[in-house]
Amino acid sequence: MSKSDQQEVECPLSHSEWPEDGGRWSEEEDGDEVEGCGLLQEMVEEDEEIDLYNEETFGLDLYTGVEDAEGDPTDLLIFCADKSPAPSSPHPCTPSSPSLPKPGPDPQIQPQAWLGMQARERGNKERLGGRGKMFDDPAVMRTVEGRPSLKSLDSAIVDSGTSSSWQDKDSDAWVLSSYGTQRCIAGSILQDKAIVGVIDRPAPGRILPTTLDFLSPLQRPFPAFRGAAPGKRSGQHEQLSTRPFGQRYLSQMQMNPMIPRSPVRPQQQYGQCGGLRSPSSCPRPPVSQAFTPKMMQLRFGAHSPTPAPFYSPSANPVQRFRFPGHVTQLHPQHRRLLSQRQQRAHRKTESWDPHSQLMSLKEKEWIIRLQMIQLQSENPHLDDYYYQEYYQRMEAKLAEELLGDRAKREPPKLTTPYVTKTDSYTPVVHIEGSLGQVAVSTCFSPRRAIDAVHAHCPEEEQKDTRQQRLAVLHNLEKLFMILLEVEEGERRRTTVFREGERSRLREKMQRRVELIYRQLQHPVALESGEEFLPCLLVSKGKRLLARLIPFLSHDAALYILSIVTSHLPVLMSRDTDEALPVLYPSLCTVIGRLSFSQLIGLLRNFTSTLPETKESQLSLACQNKFGISLLYALLSQGERLLSSEVPMEPSIGDFETWTETVFQVARQLSQCSLVEPLLLPSNLLSLFCRYLDKRTVHQLENSMERSATGCPAVPS
Amino acid sequence: MNYMPGTASLIEDIDKKHLVLLRDGRTLIGFLRSIDQFANLVLHQTVERIHVGKKYGDIPRGIFIVRGENVVLLGEIDLEKECDTMLKQVSIEEILEEQRAQQQAKLEAEKAKLQALKERGLSVPRADVLDEY
Repeated sequence: MSKSDQQEVECPLSHSEWPEDGGRWSEEEDGDEVEGCGLLQEMVEEDEEIDLYNEETFGLDLYTGVEDAEGDPTDLLIFCADKSPAPSSPHPCTPSSPSLPKPGPDPQIQPQAWLGMQARERGNKERLGGRGKMFDDPAVMRTVEGRPSLKSLDSAIVDSGTSSSWQDKDSDAWVLSSYGTQRCIAGSILQDKAIVGVIDRPAPGRILPTTLDFLSPLQRPFPAFRGAAPGKRSGQHEQLSTRPFGQRYLSQMQMNPMIPRSPVRPQQQYGQCGGLRSPSSCPRPPVSQAFTPKMMQLRFGAHSPTPAPFYSPSANPVQRFRFPGHVTQLHPQHRRLLSQRQQRAHRKTESWDPHSQLMSLKEKEWIIRLQMIQLQSENPHLDDYYYQEYYQRMEAKLAEELLGDRAKREPPKLTTPYVTKTDSYTPVVHIEGSLGQVAVSTCFSPRRAIDAVHAHCPEEEQKDTRQQRLAVLHNLEKLFMILLEVEEGERRRTTVFREGERSRLREKMQRRVELIYRQLQHPVALESGEEFLPCLLVSKGKRLLARLIPFLSHDAALYILSIVTSHLPVLMSRDTDEALPVLYPSLCTVIGRLSFSQLIGLLRNFTSTLPETKESQLSLACQNKFGISLLYALLSQGERLLSSEVPMEPSIGDFETWTETVFQVARQLSQCSLVEPLLLPSNLLSLFCRYLDKRTVHQLENSMERSATGCPAVPS
Repeated sequence: MNYMPGTASLIEDIDKKHLVLLRDGRTLIGFLRSIDQFANLVLHQTVERIHVGKKYGDIPRGIFIVRGENVVLLGEIDLEKECDTMLKQVSIEEILEEQRAQQQAKLEAEKAKLQALKERGLSVPRADVLDEY
């Protein structure tokens, strides 16, 4: 858009006064000095407050850079010094409104404003070498100072300088733009204090928030602005005081070497705001560097101007960057890295894009600040451990590389609080009466694997019968395992078809069986004692034997049977859980294979009398289920043998013993009450019939039947 | 490395050409000029691009201000690679016509599906009346 168009749109009425050629703007310059005017003086002061306030919001937005001759016209925030004051008429103007009425402004003031602007422009041009158009941005239709309404005071509104509503408060408080600060500062250029500052275009270099300033941590809270500006305080103070960064911005703005200043002004400003500056003289960021022209070029682009000759940056004692916000809590190493990177980076502007740089640096930084504020924490090492740790290690590594010290090679160890072991714990706990170990969980071994071994030494505790019993049980456990193996092997043997394998298997199983037999016969832990007795006394042992007997040879089984019968009273008396009957089936099978002589031998055991009690074993047996069943089984076997036609080979005196036994049994059975046997062989009666008279047989029959009510009769 | 958190990371994308996908399905292409902390975007020289099949059409829209919550995603457009695309640009009228046809076809397919389901005694419950997830 051409300048003329803009000017037509923006200032239709003052068109005649506004020469098209920017270079001629300065011709009608420096009219009146408004500094002498008291009213304006007040306004100026008020403007300062407003400006300060606005800087708190965005800081110095105006002198972010200098427009070069090529012209980068995107500047929404250009204000012209339109001092159409409140008394005349409201000026509801926004930069974007297309048609702005400009009813009869005070012709006196207006030219002053424009003149002042022209002066400013000239000054700018002089300094900057030919600044041309001011309102190149087609989006900017008209810029008017706005009263700092509530909307404009809201920092969220970027364009706070322009308010759509024009409020009349005081007749004398005519409204200046919120960015009118620059009047005070740029006094050398613009003698007219009433002129609202013109915001320079941002630097042609792409404006990245290259600040290092806001890399420095937030050191102190900002006291509310109680400016040293003298004079009246208006209600804007309250609003100002809510902005925490005003002081900083003011000081930054002042210290900014980029701001064109008069030689006189800075001191005045210093003096004026000395009170401001001191609290805000925060520790310089560690990476603050001298503001050399070269660096400025790097930061602000190749076309950034050198500072004004009357004001050299090195003379500035306060080297603060003008960028706001030290709200980021970056690790110093991180900061250093970023600053290095920023120094290296040098971005050229996209000169082909006329609309670039719409967002000013201030605005970008504001967003960054906003986001970074949320990351602040009082305990960064706790909240962001990995970040801190990473940079610490990087720092250490770099330091090591720099110093060349290889000694401290090892990385920093993770320190954990040292937990002292209070007591030594017993890894193995043996509870009395338990078999083996008990799982005890401690904090050092929460799930300890226990071994199925005795925790104590078996030789020492032989005398203790309980220990003995435990030893027996322990043995039995082991033998059971082997027995299971044997049974499994037997099962497999039936399925295996190959002869060789079968025989191999059989031999293997036989060996196992013999091992069990031996172990049961002579348990290792016991010094002496009857064979098989210890295991027989325990119900588990009985079960084991019962399962083992089918695998034994006939002689071995017979031996066991004889042991059982000979120790029957002991077994019966100590059979507390009545486990004896488990032996019955397997013993029955053994009995079924007995020869007559063997049978007689066994029966002799029955008829012998016990030495202590004088009771016959027989009578005891009749009281016991197992005993009587065994007896019946034996008698039945005898009867079977006798009645069968297989020739027997009886020894001498066998038959007599047999007959005697039968009589004895008959007598016993008739005398005492019988218990129910496990099995009642049916050939007993025929046996008795052979030897006894009918009456006795009947008696026996009755008594036996009485006892055997629930017992299944088995035909033998 | 971009150390700026959150929306601040968009600052690096300013003045670059972006493709922005909105929640209502529109695709905007424009130069990102300004952002704020909510990731509201100001797009300049924006063009709304409608894709139908292999064709697309651009409708110039000017300046867009997009509320941040309505953005699904956005990405920078590589200006050099922008030209090598398989898609064929057509005029606005044509693409709108194509889009209309596509919507029509979809509607009819949907109707046919619903009808088929209804005939079989099934129904797809509407999401707003569905009680369970």
